[in-house]
Amino acid sequence: MKRSLRSFGTGMMFVGPSLFLMIVFVFYPILKTIYFSLYLTDPRGVPVQFVGAENYVQLLASDSFRLSMKSTFLFVLYTVPTSILLALFLAVLANERVRGVEFFRIIFSSSLGVSVAAGSTIWLFLFHPSIGLFNHILKTLGTAPIQWLTSPDWALVSIALTTVWMSVGFNFIVLLGGLQNISEELYESAKIDGAGYWVNLFRITLPLLSPTLFFVTVVTVIHSFQSFGQIDILTKGGPAESTNLIVYSIYRDAFINYKFGTASAQAMILFVIILIATYVQFKVGEKRVHYQ
Amino acid sequence: MVKNAILTCLLGLSALILFFPILYAVSASLMSTEELYGGKLIPSQFLLENYEAALQSVPLLKFLLNSLIVSTTVMVGQIAVSSLAAYAFVYIPFKGRTLIFYLFISTMMIPWEATMIPNYLTILHLNWINTYQGLSVPFFALAFGTFLLRQHFLTIPKELREAAELEGCGHLRFLLSFVLPLSKPMLAALGVYGFLTTWNMYLWPLLATTNKSVRTVQIGLKMMQSQENSTNWPVVMAGVVIVLLPTLIFLFVGLKQLKKGLMSGALKG
Amino acid sequence: MKRIWLLGLVLLLVLAGCTNSETAGGGETGQTGDGKVKVTFWHSMGGDAGKALQKIVDNYNAKQTKVFVQTEYQGSYEEALTKLKTVGGTPEAPTLMQVYEVGTKFMSESGYIQPVQNFIDKEQFDLSQLEENIAGYYRIDGKLYSMPFNTSNAVMFYNKDKFRDAGLDPEKPPRTFSEVREAAEKLTDSAKDEKGFAILIYGWFIEQLMANQGADYLDEGNGRKGEPAKTLLNGPEGLRIYQWLDEMNKEGVLGNYGRKWDDIRAAFKAGKVAIYLDSTAATASNVKDSPFEVGTGFLPVPDGVEPKGVIIGGGSIWMMNSVSDEQKAAGWDFLKFVAQPDTQAQWAVDTGYFPITKAAYDEKILQDTYAKYPQYLTAVKQLQSTKLTIATQGALMSVFPEARAEVENSIEKLYGGADAQKVLDETAEKINKLLADHKKVSK
Repeated sequence: MKRSLRSFGTGMMFVGPSLFLMIVFVFYPILKTIYFSLYLTDPRGVPVQFVGAENYVQLLASDSFRLSMKSTFLFVLYTVPTSILLALFLAVLANERVRGVEFFRIIFSSSLGVSVAAGSTIWLFLFHPSIGLFNHILKTLGTAPIQWLTSPDWALVSIALTTVWMSVGFNFIVLLGGLQNISEELYESAKIDGAGYWVNLFRITLPLLSPTLFFVTVVTVIHSFQSFGQIDILTKGGPAESTNLIVYSIYRDAFINYKFGTASAQAMILFVIILIATYVQFKVGEKRVHYQ
Repeated sequence: MVKNAILTCLLGLSALILFFPILYAVSASLMSTEELYGGKLIPSQFLLENYEAALQSVPLLKFLLNSLIVSTTVMVGQIAVSSLAAYAFVYIPFKGRTLIFYLFISTMMIPWEATMIPNYLTILHLNWINTYQGLSVPFFALAFGTFLLRQHFLTIPKELREAAELEGCGHLRFLLSFVLPLSKPMLAALGVYGFLTTWNMYLWPLLATTNKSVRTVQIGLKMMQSQENSTNWPVVMAGVVIVLLPTLIFLFVGLKQLKKGLMSGALKG
Repeated sequence: MKRIWLLGLVLLLVLAGCTNSETAGGGETGQTGDGKVKVTFWHSMGGDAGKALQKIVDNYNAKQTKVFVQTEYQGSYEEALTKLKTVGGTPEAPTLMQVYEVGTKFMSESGYIQPVQNFIDKEQFDLSQLEENIAGYYRIDGKLYSMPFNTSNAVMFYNKDKFRDAGLDPEKPPRTFSEVREAAEKLTDSAKDEKGFAILIYGWFIEQLMANQGADYLDEGNGRKGEPAKTLLNGPEGLRIYQWLDEMNKEGVLGNYGRKWDDIRAAFKAGKVAIYLDSTAATASNVKDSPFEVGTGFLPVPDGVEPKGVIIGGGSIWMMNSVSDEQKAAGWDFLKFVAQPDTQAQWAVDTGYFPITKAAYDEKILQDTYAKYPQYLTAVKQLQSTKLTIATQGALMSVFPEARAEVENSIEKLYGGADAQKVLDETAEKINKLLADHKKVSK
């Protein structure tokens, strides 16, 4: 009893700073958000009328919100696998012993050093309908120009493309770190057994990389759900609400329309969705992950 | 030999595609508007005036310094706070630990935007508007960092802790002299990540600052794009390059550190 | 290594500690180091307009010794308004703030502000020197709430070279919907992906095209007589606009360049679109940067309709009530400086916005610019020929920003092939709901 109390004290000393900051800057605000989600707010954001679940009911019945959910899931589906597979491909390439590989590692990780504001600004110009480079190239090839950001069919794809580019750098670094942690001896003994490149990749590399892959997947899914800056700069949720992903929709309702009630209700729905997604990933993932 | 050639080709091609947007931004920042709008890839002459115009339009250098201070503070704060918590989650079994861990992890899923208004009010009450601490302290506790370090601490053999305990080594000393040195690569990764994500933030700095004294460089970039007048793209691209340069350099330098840590072999076996 | 970090941390905290108190926002101190009254001025002018604004402020600060005006850029109009909503009424709030035109109703009801009419009455400030159409927008119940500042309206820009190539008279811009459509058909070259006509997807233009037909946007006298409950967007005037756009879109003569001012301007300058509607704030840049001769014309009207004129766009400057009387007086002094003819003339030349003061048109610097760029004059004539009615005074509603966003969505749906009347009805229903929701929460 005494001992468990003491270890609780020690544990708290270590966890304390984090816990305190999280209570102040995460848990208290989220409780306040839940509180807001049950109210109607006036244009200054002050809750004036308790409405219970009405904000939620109205949201689930509205076409805009359903479209927003659909776009969000599509967006996650477009970006997560693409970005991870691309980063994995690059990491495997860059893990080989080739001359100049250092240089390539730097290049592959470079998008981590690009801020959302700067990166989106570059892509904004590349996608420009009339003077952008992409449409110039299409014109040179004799193809019709694409309305990258102004057509509801393309805008989500364009944003996904930008997002994949911006997230590849981070995923690459983490995966390369994971690859380099795999012991050389394993490959050497595999060599003695006469195993080829592909056998090594699927028998040794990928299984031993699984903790890192698991981590990267969890983080990328969450980041993808939370994408905001690129949408704000590239499309502002349009055209015809086709890129109105949930965080952008929350931002709009909260900071432009000043409806904290609806915005908070959406934030809670997002919270629950990500919670479930992560729980499932942990349940499914942690069983298959091999720790070294 | 053939394998190496193919590899180099693949590497080169991937690098070109991935790095192209950045190269293009640099190239565009040196062009005249006519050249850029005409779809040229390489400028005929280098127009450095665009950089001059970019620096003149907003106090970018001052903003760069602010970004540097804020990002460094957050980076150091995050490493300190996260490694303490991650250590407890791996080495100090105590009642409610699992619960607290899941609580931590769950915060990773709370969109920052959802907590922004209450946070803004907190900062306002603390009188932290227009201060460096207002821009940095809310980001010290990082579930992601704690998670990253916990995953890594788990790979350090438990026997090491048992041995240290027998030697009478306390938790704090064990953390500082064994666990952290063994985790250099992950700490470096976390540091790079913390620095860069802070550098990249733009919605929070815009809300938490009302004047130029502590405003960061991302806002500077936003300031360059005007409301109703047409944007001069080469000048904006020059601004983009000025904003990109410090983080890219930091990343390249940090990457070397990162690699050194990874290569030290501390984690083998 | 550890020690260096620790040292760094301490150093940074010290640094942070040093910097916070002295440089913190100007609102709470009220005075500068040398005893001048400090006026904090929040604005949303980035880029060139921001520089021009700073020039005005620098001139003012140099000209007198009692007041120091400090400008603080607060991001877009929306972001600035967001920030005000959180600090409004506290010492962090500024003395003066620039707000866009559709924020007028919100500001007037916010409880953060002091109508400038109070100062006008006290000093017998002669309001007749202001352009009547401009002051009209910001006057609610006969009271001027804020000082108009950057004002613009919508005009038509066209490529004279393309007009010549297509056999059209470059000195006769189309004036009606069907004339625009006929010209657009001739000016379109599908092989080169060049379109005849385009309009930015921005609610403002629909508002302008409605007002030009003399139609109100809202019931209750355009929201100026009482709390509006219904939008008139889906009436016959709105339908005419949507059908016109729909027909041109289906014919393939209408270009869609999205919601960004920049994109449509770049398309025009690159010769991708021959005629388009824009804010007058783009005049200077269009004329100077286009590699062809640029013409300007009035906003078009449906056939057989007499043009009634335009609504004022842009922003005005508001005075907060949370600052000291001394600061209010200083702020008012600055506002008077802003309204002076010479200040207004310079501002108009630097940006392309309108002068708000009639006498500014007599200033040499403005006359020179108008002589050099006659394209400016179309907009001035259009403004001056506008008859001030409830329709051209512009609609007032607190939920205007959201309503605009709904209109923008509806145009995108129209371009996607939806039926004009159906889209309008759906949108009107959404706006009506916004109005009803607002009524529910405001007492």
